[in-house]
Amino acid sequence: MSQQEVTNYDAVLARFREDPFAYVDIHVMHTGQIRFHVHEGDKVEGLTGDFHHIKGTLLCELTRERNQKPIHCITNGEVSFVNTRFDGQFVQAGEKIMTIRHPLKKREIIEQILRDVLVPFAAPEKAKYYFAMDIQNRIEKFGQRSVSVQEGDELFTMSLMKRDTPVFYTGASGLIHSVYFKPGQSMELGEPLVGICPPEKIVVVEKIITRVKAEWE
Amino acid sequence: MGVIFPTPDGLVTYINQEECPRRFQTCSHLPVAEIFRYGGMVGSVIHAYSTLPRCMDQARELIRQQSKQQLSLASGTMLFAETLTGSKGRFNRAWHAPCGGLWCVLTVFNQWSRRVAGLLPLAAGVAVCETVQQAGVTVQIKWVNDLYSNGLKLAGLLATTHVCPVSGEEYIFLGIGLNVNNTEFPSALADIATSMSSQAGCDFNLVDLALDVLAKLVWNIGLLCWIDEYDKPLALFMDRYRDLCDSVGRRVRFGFNVQESPGYEALVTGVQDDGGLVLRHLKDHVELVEHGGEIEYV
Repeated sequence: MSQQEVTNYDAVLARFREDPFAYVDIHVMHTGQIRFHVHEGDKVEGLTGDFHHIKGTLLCELTRERNQKPIHCITNGEVSFVNTRFDGQFVQAGEKIMTIRHPLKKREIIEQILRDVLVPFAAPEKAKYYFAMDIQNRIEKFGQRSVSVQEGDELFTMSLMKRDTPVFYTGASGLIHSVYFKPGQSMELGEPLVGICPPEKIVVVEKIITRVKAEWE
Repeated sequence: MGVIFPTPDGLVTYINQEECPRRFQTCSHLPVAEIFRYGGMVGSVIHAYSTLPRCMDQARELIRQQSKQQLSLASGTMLFAETLTGSKGRFNRAWHAPCGGLWCVLTVFNQWSRRVAGLLPLAAGVAVCETVQQAGVTVQIKWVNDLYSNGLKLAGLLATTHVCPVSGEEYIFLGIGLNVNNTEFPSALADIATSMSSQAGCDFNLVDLALDVLAKLVWNIGLLCWIDEYDKPLALFMDRYRDLCDSVGRRVRFGFNVQESPGYEALVTGVQDDGGLVLRHLKDHVELVEHGGEIEYV
């Protein structure tokens, strides 16, 4: 681990100590008339339930061509900003309407820092995923962080309407360090499925984890 | 003695003489002849084998052989086998494929938009269900595309994507296993499987049945191609699926691999036009829509 990397992660950890929150911006996906259901300072809940099947707090409703589209909160926390000038008005698709301040847990801080270090591999479609049979066998035999992948390896099977499609890995070679999904869980397009750790970064990654675990109360 | 299965010419004759007039009667709101033309690649090449380990493995091998010569396997190529020695279902579940059943795989290029490609496994289910129903056997589709007759499994369908390692071309394989005249099952399957012959009390002509399945695949896949080409509503296909599927209103157990790790219990309240299953969670009373996984009737 170089001196510069140590310094960088000192700075990153200091920033998390100062402000241990994630700020999740909520954008509208369609154009429509908006009605807010929450105010600044309100506590909100994200998805809950064993299968993440219970929707979060209703944040607002978007009316589009007489169809009401409820927008629910995806994470727990507190409403830190609401663009109240939009209330009752038409907004364009993609407009930011509010921000949720989410208190980070130790595990989430580690994940956030690691996302700068690890190579993410994102879901190519909204579907359910599981590891390819060969990868799954190796994970069961040697443990997840001992399994290496390289470009062209069949990494996942994507399952959509009972059609299984192999998903091949593209990106830098490395070890499967972080897994962001459960087998069979529905993942959105673009959500990271795994974080791959290039061999030269293993020491950095271990150091980050050890430091956050040791220093974070 | 060679293996007797339908030929492409026989399929064209059958469609013109039997299937097309049937569809003109039942689907007068649709451009029947055009839809048959859209599905015309299905069964344009047919390979028949006496024994194979698995039809899908043979399809992969044919694609590999073609690509070595810088050629492609024709989209719509159908492979039939009299028996399979290494057949298996999803998640490596047991599947028994002796003489007397219909064991085949259809290989098609993945030429569809995402919204339509998701419905291909359902189209295969509808095609086989229509054939069985036409033969006079009671049958329903259990979401996604398994066929049951009086609570027993009559047919299983598998859909997988295969990317040719040489050419990079993407194929969709639709595997069909239909118990027709095979009436004996291994002990593990004896209480859960059935065949058309067991249900009807008579044997069926396997070649005629194969021909009819092919003709109905031509129609249903042609319909999806036509919907895709002209951006027509998916309901034009899904209304037929909903007619044949008996999952709505049933209490079910849902899971990704429901036999090994059952998830939650729910009531099925509908099937969306994109094939998604609409469920009401029995404990939490929230509505969910699933596009993958499987159900077990409770």
